[in-house]
Amino acid sequence: MNTRPTPSPQLRLLSGLAALAMLAGPEPASAQAPEASWPALQQAWFSGKTLEPAPFIHLSAPTRAPSGDQVPFAFSIDHPMTAARYIKTVSVFVDGNPVPLTAAFHFTPQSGKAEIATRIRLESDSPVHVVAESNDGRLYVNSVIVKASGGCSGPAVGEDAAARAAAGRMKLALDDPFKRGELNRATLLVRHPMNTGMQRDPATHGFRPAYFIDKVSVTYNGKPVLTADTAIGVSENPSIRFGFVADQPGALQVLVHDNEGGSFRQAMDVGG
Amino acid sequence: MRRLLGSLLLLAAAHLGAAPRQEPPQARLQLRQVAPGVYVHLGQHKDFEDGYDGDIANIGFVVGRDAVAVVDTGGSYAVGAALKAALRAVTSLPVRYVIDTHGHPDHVFGNAAFADANDAGAGPPPQFIGHAGLPAMLAARGDSYLHQLKQQLGAAAGRSALIAPTRTVQDRLTLDLGGRKLELRAWPKAHTNSDLTVFDPETRTLWSGDLLFIERTPSLDGDAEGWLAAMDALDRLPAALTIPGHGPVTRDKGAALARQRAYLTALLRDVRAGIRQGADMTSTMATAAAGERTRWQLFDAVNRRNVNFLYPVLEWE
Repeated sequence: MNTRPTPSPQLRLLSGLAALAMLAGPEPASAQAPEASWPALQQAWFSGKTLEPAPFIHLSAPTRAPSGDQVPFAFSIDHPMTAARYIKTVSVFVDGNPVPLTAAFHFTPQSGKAEIATRIRLESDSPVHVVAESNDGRLYVNSVIVKASGGCSGPAVGEDAAARAAAGRMKLALDDPFKRGELNRATLLVRHPMNTGMQRDPATHGFRPAYFIDKVSVTYNGKPVLTADTAIGVSENPSIRFGFVADQPGALQVLVHDNEGGSFRQAMDVGG
Repeated sequence: MRRLLGSLLLLAAAHLGAAPRQEPPQARLQLRQVAPGVYVHLGQHKDFEDGYDGDIANIGFVVGRDAVAVVDTGGSYAVGAALKAALRAVTSLPVRYVIDTHGHPDHVFGNAAFADANDAGAGPPPQFIGHAGLPAMLAARGDSYLHQLKQQLGAAAGRSALIAPTRTVQDRLTLDLGGRKLELRAWPKAHTNSDLTVFDPETRTLWSGDLLFIERTPSLDGDAEGWLAAMDALDRLPAALTIPGHGPVTRDKGAALARQRAYLTALLRDVRAGIRQGADMTSTMATAAAGERTRWQLFDAVNRRNVNFLYPVLEWE
């Protein structure tokens, strides 16, 4: 009989030190992700580099997610975003997933803040590591442990044909009224099944082939504010909230590309 | 409610004659005859992630003149085996049908225990009956359901296995048990995409499956609007007695449906409001349908899952 603690409803923000202490200490009995996976991932992706523990990388995720399919996950990094000093790339790893690198988000000073709120998949209870790289090449890390399961091999919720037909539909909206010269936040929703390649196809009893968005590019008046390399760890029908700074009214434009060569566009005028 | 019909209470031993040294928890199964020939075992309200033992759903059977129909078999082989033993203590008639009210694991994992229900000379193996959408649901989710069950129950998952229906219901189907006919009805997407109800006109007993929850917070895995529509139709059914998927048997179906309608309506309203007001999914999980919290068991866990399911869907309205 597997008895696990009752889920706690509140979010937990782990500081970098606390997260490191948890990783260094004995694993909680029910954390099922292999302890060794992060050192191996770090070796594979950041060989020979130093990752500095960074409590200023704020992470938001449920301690226990109700579903492995749609786990709300957000990071927000307190770091200058000026032409001289800015965070240029943030990589999100779910250590225990079949494909741990879930997404890499590329920012510019015009992003205003290196922050993203999205939804990800967890195949099993796992630490989620976030590595930020600044424009001068320094690497920072923070992590949080999330309990959830079944997100990658679990069932696709929708009908595959209908999901494919709707793929590429988008919704794009500002979260708040436009503020000239300040940080604005927008939320992008994209219809896409994000098939992992590990989900059963009821029609064939084989597996649905992987079919997922691999790139999202957002510009404001032609200048990049966010570019994301995404993989199967991003949930079905991705939701991505991002920031941008706009000195004048203009056009926010989104280009989405998937692994089958599909490309989809959406745009909105802001501040006009 | 527990004394509702004050009738027969049967205790059946699954392992007759065996020394009861290490009796598994489900070896004895409480069974109640709630109407003539209608037997129910009430599952307990436990969450999937906290103390789950496979015995949380209402399961049972209907005895006709010539044969028996089982309605749901529980969440593990052991629960199914205990139900079969309890059934065999009541009747030696063949189990002609095993009906799945939908594909959720707490209702169907006991099916495997019924494959040999008639082996002791009672007749051919039972037909397994399910909604036309059930084979696809089990094909898509079977691996992950079994994986989860093994995590939840460990070795006690035992011989639990999913059995695809051998006969499906597109709309309606009548099953003859000899002198007693059961009316099966397949529903459009509601609680799940494989909901099937069973009505016994002789006693006017309705097996609602999980289209009706009593006490336990209703869990959504299909279409909330479709579920509300199905509930309107169920409200009009002339049932004297209703056996919900979870919770006590009731003679007041209308009140139970109204209770559930209040929850689902509040859930829909609050998730929509959260989306409209720019509240993210996490904060909506904490606030949606909060006014219903004291009226239901396992509310926090189930309600959060419901928001997690519903929010990404309603965002596209």
